[in-house]
Amino acid sequence: MSRVALLFLALAALLAAPLAAQPEFPELTGRVVDNAEIISPEVEAQLTTQLEELESQSQRQLVVVTLPSLQDYEIADYGYQLGREWRLGDVERNDGALLIVAPNEREVRIEVGYGLEGQLTDAYASTIIRNEIVPYFRNGDMEGGIVAGTTAIANHLALPEAEAIRLVTQTSKEANVGSGDGWLVWLLILAPFAFVILVIILASKGGSGGTRYSGSTSSGTSVSTYSSSSSSSWSSGSSFSSSSFSGGGGSFGGGGASGSW
Amino acid sequence: MNFKSISRAFVVAAASLSLAACGINSVPAAEEEAKAKWADVEAQFQRRANLIPNLAEIVQGAAENEQTILREVTEARARATAVNVTANDLGDGEKMAEFAAAQSQMSAGIGRLLASFEAYPNIQSNQNYLAFQSQFEGTENRIAVAIRDYNEAVRQYNTTIRTFPDTIGANIIHGAEPLVPYTAVTEGAEAAPQLDMTSN
Repeated sequence: MSRVALLFLALAALLAAPLAAQPEFPELTGRVVDNAEIISPEVEAQLTTQLEELESQSQRQLVVVTLPSLQDYEIADYGYQLGREWRLGDVERNDGALLIVAPNEREVRIEVGYGLEGQLTDAYASTIIRNEIVPYFRNGDMEGGIVAGTTAIANHLALPEAEAIRLVTQTSKEANVGSGDGWLVWLLILAPFAFVILVIILASKGGSGGTRYSGSTSSGTSVSTYSSSSSSSWSSGSSFSSSSFSGGGGSFGGGGASGSW
Repeated sequence: MNFKSISRAFVVAAASLSLAACGINSVPAAEEEAKAKWADVEAQFQRRANLIPNLAEIVQGAAENEQTILREVTEARARATAVNVTANDLGDGEKMAEFAAAQSQMSAGIGRLLASFEAYPNIQSNQNYLAFQSQFEGTENRIAVAIRDYNEAVRQYNTTIRTFPDTIGANIIHGAEPLVPYTAVTEGAEAAPQLDMTSN
């Protein structure tokens, strides 16, 4: 027994190891997470409206976050992990972005999700930081820099409107097709199991000379329990719609640019 | 009679389920995941190699010293592209080390070139230079992320094939060998380290 307990401990340690190496992340309380408390409530409300408009227009999630500390991480290192933690952007399109400001380390970063790397390139993000944000920060105007930076990023992300509309219609079609495919896949997976069980039961029935009808009903019930358990686990994975703001499942791969002042 | 047939059906179902728990599916899944992450790593290295031609334009305004470094970088690039680690070589530690050495040599060369540009105010304000610098930084960052993701996938795969119950399927059915994580060769690692007692 103690050996089993040791094995479990070892497995737990293995699982815990990567978690311990991760930084701590603030909670995603809204589109503006002002943990360093450098944005006034009015400006925060204004930014939130701006970012809501961006999402309703282009489906893209941009979040402004200020951090009191980077916990000794490089801002680029912290940024992509924060983006992954918050899962900003759509799960298929990975079109989330972050504007991260660490006033105490005097670092700023635009973190770009996988799917936006082609549009909001490193070079362009760097230009926004250099030309729009840092000049304000140098004068001590944190709010001004954040507003100017957010506006520049949001304007850029909102640019190809026709493309965004095309994407919206395309993804809604994909969602319908996707759910149909999901059932089909499950049916294909379960069919051989059901068939094998059916054949075995019928064969054993035939050999022992029992009644065929009772055999087929017992197989029928075993098949139905299979499909019901699998369908419930499948549907639980796709329920992530909620009224409050949250990430859509997008991922980040280190795209974007950093700057300091 | 009826009980017998039902129990037989259960045995078949239990057998298939326990086989699935023995790593029949999880081992190849973990392996494919690691291979996919390696493809990401390669793509990001390729992205960095593709940036090199942009350097030629920037170097034009610089002196002989920078031209020499650029030649070294271009040669390092040729060497780095010659060493290719495919998805099937991921268990080959030697090849992996060779690849890492070639890549870090190129990275060090580019870093040296960028550092020497600091003596040129006209280059520093050049739009091409600023764009290159941000692209290079971004690519280095993406490489770091891709390598970390790959190493994590390798760690999971190696854990899977060595721990119960997946290790049964890994050894008997798949004959799975552990994969090698990517260890970045740090700049100047081949040179003798300087004794420095004042640690930060």
